[in-house]
Amino acid sequence: MAAATSTFKPMDHVHGDPLEIPELACGAMAGSKPYVAAPGQQEALGFPGELVENWQEKAINRLGELVDNSRALRVFLDSCVKCGACTDKCHYFLGTGDPKNMPVARQDLLRKVYRRYFTWSGKYVPWLVGAQDLTKDVLDDWYSHFHQCSQCRRCSVYCPYGIDTAEISMAARDIMDTVGLGQKYSNEIIGKVFNIGNNLGLPAKALKATLAGLEEDVEEETGVPVRFPLDEKGADILLVTPSADFFASPHMEGLIGYAKVMHEAGVSWTFSSYASEAANFGMFVGSQENMQKVAQRIHKAAEELGVKRLVFGECGHAWRVAYSFLDTLAGPFDFLDQNYPIPQHICEFTNDLIDQGKLRFDKSRNDAIRLTFHDSCNVARASRMGDKPGGQFEIPRAILRATCNHFYDMAADTIHEHTLCCGGGGGLLTDELMDVRLKGAQPRMRALQQVAEDHGVTHMAAICAICKAQFSKVLPQYGFDMESIVSVHQMVSNAIILTGSIQEQDYEAARLSVLQEV
Amino acid sequence: MLTTAFALSFYTAALVLAGGLGYRIWLYASTPAPLKIPTTPAPLTHSGVAARMFREVVFFQSLFNANKWIWLFGWIFHMALALVVLRHLRYFLQPVPEILVLVQPFGELAGFAMVAGLIALWARRLIVPRIRYISGPSDHLMLALLVAIGISGLTMTYVAHTDIVAVKGFFLGLMYFNWQPLPSDPVLLVHLGLVAALMIIFPFSKLLHAPGVFFSPTRNQADDSREHRYVGSARLEAMSRKA
Amino acid sequence: MGAYEVNGTVAEHDEEGYLTDIGVWNTDLADMIAKAENIDMSDAHWEVVNFLREYYEEYQIAPAVRILVKEMTKKFGKEKGDQKALYALFPYGPAKQACKIAGLPKPTGCV
Ligand code: SF4
Ligand code: SF4
Repeated sequence: MAAATSTFKPMDHVHGDPLEIPELACGAMAGSKPYVAAPGQQEALGFPGELVENWQEKAINRLGELVDNSRALRVFLDSCVKCGACTDKCHYFLGTGDPKNMPVARQDLLRKVYRRYFTWSGKYVPWLVGAQDLTKDVLDDWYSHFHQCSQCRRCSVYCPYGIDTAEISMAARDIMDTVGLGQKYSNEIIGKVFNIGNNLGLPAKALKATLAGLEEDVEEETGVPVRFPLDEKGADILLVTPSADFFASPHMEGLIGYAKVMHEAGVSWTFSSYASEAANFGMFVGSQENMQKVAQRIHKAAEELGVKRLVFGECGHAWRVAYSFLDTLAGPFDFLDQNYPIPQHICEFTNDLIDQGKLRFDKSRNDAIRLTFHDSCNVARASRMGDKPGGQFEIPRAILRATCNHFYDMAADTIHEHTLCCGGGGGLLTDELMDVRLKGAQPRMRALQQVAEDHGVTHMAAICAICKAQFSKVLPQYGFDMESIVSVHQMVSNAIILTGSIQEQDYEAARLSVLQEV
Repeated sequence: MLTTAFALSFYTAALVLAGGLGYRIWLYASTPAPLKIPTTPAPLTHSGVAARMFREVVFFQSLFNANKWIWLFGWIFHMALALVVLRHLRYFLQPVPEILVLVQPFGELAGFAMVAGLIALWARRLIVPRIRYISGPSDHLMLALLVAIGISGLTMTYVAHTDIVAVKGFFLGLMYFNWQPLPSDPVLLVHLGLVAALMIIFPFSKLLHAPGVFFSPTRNQADDSREHRYVGSARLEAMSRKA
Repeated sequence: MGAYEVNGTVAEHDEEGYLTDIGVWNTDLADMIAKAENIDMSDAHWEVVNFLREYYEEYQIAPAVRILVKEMTKKFGKEKGDQKALYALFPYGPAKQACKIAGLPKPTGCV
């Protein structure tokens, strides 16, 4: 596997300026390629099983269609002036030094083909404008380097024309799928959503058993019968969350947090086994058709369960699709209660309750934790929370400050809209890409190392299933504890005082003794 | 002969520029933007978007956040270019408006600033490995063209003066289809020839960033997808209803 | 794609070494896969593998790490049953590596 053959030693790279610009290392990452999707995985999504014979012609046609149907793509392919402002903005470039991981160079892999077949200058003077025929080598380069882009949009923040390499990567992946060259990881997962209802492939029976187990655990811990309802018709709220929340750690600890908040808020709510996935890998592969099909499952589940509100759990790109695209792709949602945001983020939900004074926390329960927060790309740069721009930065932090006494931000140029990707987003969270994942995480790991040294930070919270999974893999490689990545609602879960709980007795006793001392 | 050749080139150049740019703008405007993709945090309202666009176009806000050197040189070049263009309007307007008369001295200084900015940008393109890597022949040629236009212009202002009254006569003549002779100073001919070339290249080159920036969805969309249902493409909408 | 060969039978696997047909699994095969992963199968390893197979039989998916931890805690007590202990047994992750040895498909998703 790629990870085993790499000579990269993360521990040698964890100290230093997170944004340090590496020397160019041409061809360094040319060998990084994800596994190719099998014919069955391709066909389930409506793509050819394997590379078609006339792939070149088909690819060019598809590029033409995409450009005709996306103003962004057309404007981005035309407008780049090669100013170089984005060249040092991609974490994969910072971590690998491969110049093809500079955003503009990544775009150029597609742009040179666009120029060749769709612009006057590229047709007649290709050498002058860097236009190139679509050859097998170019296709190989695409497959490698468009799978070294996590579609994090960091480059688009800095480009004077807002050129978003994520859009270019999505288009390139769509073209590759269209000619039969798909990525196994993403396409297999989309297939599982269509067949079973979620990325992991958890059948309803497994979901039910898992949730029942959690009910037992929480009751044992708190003495309160907190429910984890599934497919309950007539509930007020449908909670859609990434399926990793039903499976992995620290995701599941966050899920417990959602349930405790819902319980304490006294609302009726439910999960859906049909829409048991918030994530939408249709976006990663750039296929609007597949993204729409996945999104429509949520509409259908909400309608069938007869809920009034729609809330999303902690998942970065899922929140982008939910916040920015859901209404367009699967709307209108006129059957929901229009007095609440459609959809609402679980952090907005919890924060509203905190603001209204409806939740009580014993922050000292998190005293062993000195915390920082990792802004997830798609939440930071492609969506919002609350009613002000930048609410997506403030609201999760407000929750963390309400639940933990020790909170420290990482360096200003590595958070908020400048945040650095975890290194595993955009469909790259697969083992064979571990080398590029490790290297791409380097800038974030350095920023974390800095707060660890400056403020003794021990843990980092995130609101994205991919970030959590990626960090639990790469943190140990960079010398941190595997469990130093936590869910935001895990912090909530640790500190919340449920009415009638065992913790409430301790909490009240402690408060009383403080009062008596005064 | 000379006058005819230049007159015809400028008519051609003007047609290509207007037609080419018009077509491109029409293409941008008529291509659907299926989804909401503003780079956030983004303004929530259309007036907020207008303000964001103003900051981008006038101050190069994103570039400023990205890289101070590129911003400095790029901004100097563009602002100087704007002044220089303003200054040149006097060749097309009779009488010359008061404001243009005021701009004159700044316009002359701007000529130097423009060339200096361009040379600094070019130096970065040659010296910084990352930027050298992404530069192709057309990027260097474009800079060469602009520098040559600037230097030939400055030469006429400060070294080899030309009969600017006659030049103005020539351009007014072009506008009113009443051709007047063009002075045959070599520097002037080089200057005008290159400008005509620039006009022709414009709609086929990266200079399309000028209209492009206004159409960039990551910058010109409001962040209001929860407040108003966004429908950007008939195709997606049709599929949404079907389901 | 390749195949494992044990005692004359051939068991095909995918790019990453997961069996393509979970039906062909047997304990010899498990030993062999484990060896390829640099794992010496102890009783504790077998407990995990057997639990995974039972769980899969019933739910058509591997158990969540938390469920596995709970089960192992029941069997071995708190010290040997936490997540860290599981990672000590299966360094590449109890879910992924142990599933491979148990002949189950790899759990993929945002995990
Ligand atoms: S979107 Fe992110 S990963 Fe992709 S090129 Fe831009 S900065 Fe790099
Ligand atoms: S910042 Fe934008 S215009 Fe400049 S090189 Fe990068 S993509 Fe091109």
